[in-house]
Amino acid sequence: MFSDFDWDVILRSLPYLFFDGMRFTLMLTALATAGGIVIGTLLALMRLSSFAPFSIVAGGYVNLMRSMPLVLVIFWIYFLVPYIGQWVTGASRPIQVGALVTCLVTFTIFEAAYFCEIMRAGIQSIPRGQTEAAKAIGMTYWQTMGDVILPQAFRNMIPVLLTQTIVLFQDTSLVYVISVTDFLGAASKIAQRDGRLVEMYLFAAVVYFIVSLGASIMVRRLQRRVAIVR
Amino acid sequence: MIEIDNVSKWYLDFQVLKGCSTNVAKGEVVIVCGPSGSGKSTLIKCVNGLEPFQKGNITVDGISVGDVKTNLPKLRARVGMVFQHFELFPHMSVLQNLTIGQIKVLGRDEEESRVRAFKLLDRVGLHEFADKFPGNLSGGQQQRVAIARALAMDPIAMLFDEPTSALDPEMINEVLDVMVALAKDGMTMMVVTHEMGFARSVANRVIFMDRGEIVEDAKKDDFFGKPRSERAQLFLSKILHH
Ligand SMILES: Nc1ncnc2c1ncn2[C@@H]1O[C@H](COP(=O)(O)OP(=O)(O)OP(=O)(O)O)[C@@H](O)[C@H]1O
Ligand SMILES: [Mg+2]
Repeated sequence: MFSDFDWDVILRSLPYLFFDGMRFTLMLTALATAGGIVIGTLLALMRLSSFAPFSIVAGGYVNLMRSMPLVLVIFWIYFLVPYIGQWVTGASRPIQVGALVTCLVTFTIFEAAYFCEIMRAGIQSIPRGQTEAAKAIGMTYWQTMGDVILPQAFRNMIPVLLTQTIVLFQDTSLVYVISVTDFLGAASKIAQRDGRLVEMYLFAAVVYFIVSLGASIMVRRLQRRVAIVR
Repeated sequence: MIEIDNVSKWYLDFQVLKGCSTNVAKGEVVIVCGPSGSGKSTLIKCVNGLEPFQKGNITVDGISVGDVKTNLPKLRARVGMVFQHFELFPHMSVLQNLTIGQIKVLGRDEEESRVRAFKLLDRVGLHEFADKFPGNLSGGQQQRVAIARALAMDPIAMLFDEPTSALDPEMINEVLDVMVALAKDGMTMMVVTHEMGFARSVANRVIFMDRGEIVEDAKKDDFFGKPRSERAQLFLSKILHH
């Protein structure tokens, strides 16, 4: 049956698939990971705060995001962001927001909930004595967190954070629902245009598989190296 | 230097400290001992505000620890503390452990804090370990670094919470030697320990705690001569026969 296949279509569309599609996918993955870790870490600090309003707000946010299908959040942001932009800037019409920005906002705030839980576990894994030792030499809360607790928590959690990033890498394909061209979107377009569905979707599957598997093998190697000697 | 006045503390409805009062004069070495769970750690952690307390008063160099207006980080920077489990920062080299507080808290420049750090590493005999990480040091070495880290802040007093009880027996003396030298230099010290040999050689006073109360607060010779309370006598006979 493979004799009917046109493998050449893949070769011909490689530049489009990678320079347009994959570039968007990787950029979205990297930026959303960075943003998600920063916001997630702040959320984790709020969740662990003894000041009840902080922990309630952060906890509520995390639970809300974690009980929503990602697609739904994408729709929300897609339809809401132009109006929020209008409200913030006081413009007379909804602000036109680019595809990358929409996707970035969505994935960042969605992933922040997951990164929050990872960082929270990381912070809680650091013995209480470390906080006491930092405070005992006169460090403030932010110095204690920034110089002592978070660097250790982050290092302990790197493997888990990267694993979450691999999941995010796969999830970014959902941007097709707002007609954004990521890697899968690009493959899809070629597939429809040339009527080569099987070839293109097979190829896309192979690429996702190789990237994800390769990344998780690297994570496992890293895991053995980053563990801090106590 | 340290005045503890009628301090009580509760964990929910469990009272950990029951009206504790004592004081430590400048240059004095005060030993705190007592059975496990008697509140020794809690009491010395109240002194630098690591643990809040609900009743009573503690002042350090005239500054009230319990006062909400007190800048606790600033006060803590002037009181050194050494922990049972060392609590060195494992992601920093020994040198960084000694300089971070000087740089971030005291605002010293890097060079000045390095000089100070090496002076203290010399003092605890660990000059050549400056670039090592805590995980590669023995327990005794880690605790000496921890003492040096506290001293790097030029504290006016030092608090020790069972500094030798997590150590292998052969490492206890190297840490005690550093502490004896510190005491002889006139450092104000409050030391939770069961090392009675150390207490005999440098202590001015010994406090005995039981179930959250200060049962005995006596001059060293009186305490080892004949403690007034039965509980202290019992405790002493137990640990001295080990
Ligand atoms: N966070 C906490 N919540 C509830 N109870 C606590 C807490 N911390 C300590 N306690 C209790 O307070 C009491 C005093 O504890 P503390 O650690 O001060 O005793 P200690 O004299 O230092 O004992 P040890 O010799 O075992 O170190 C103990 O009964 C302990 O169980
Ligand atoms: Mg204790």
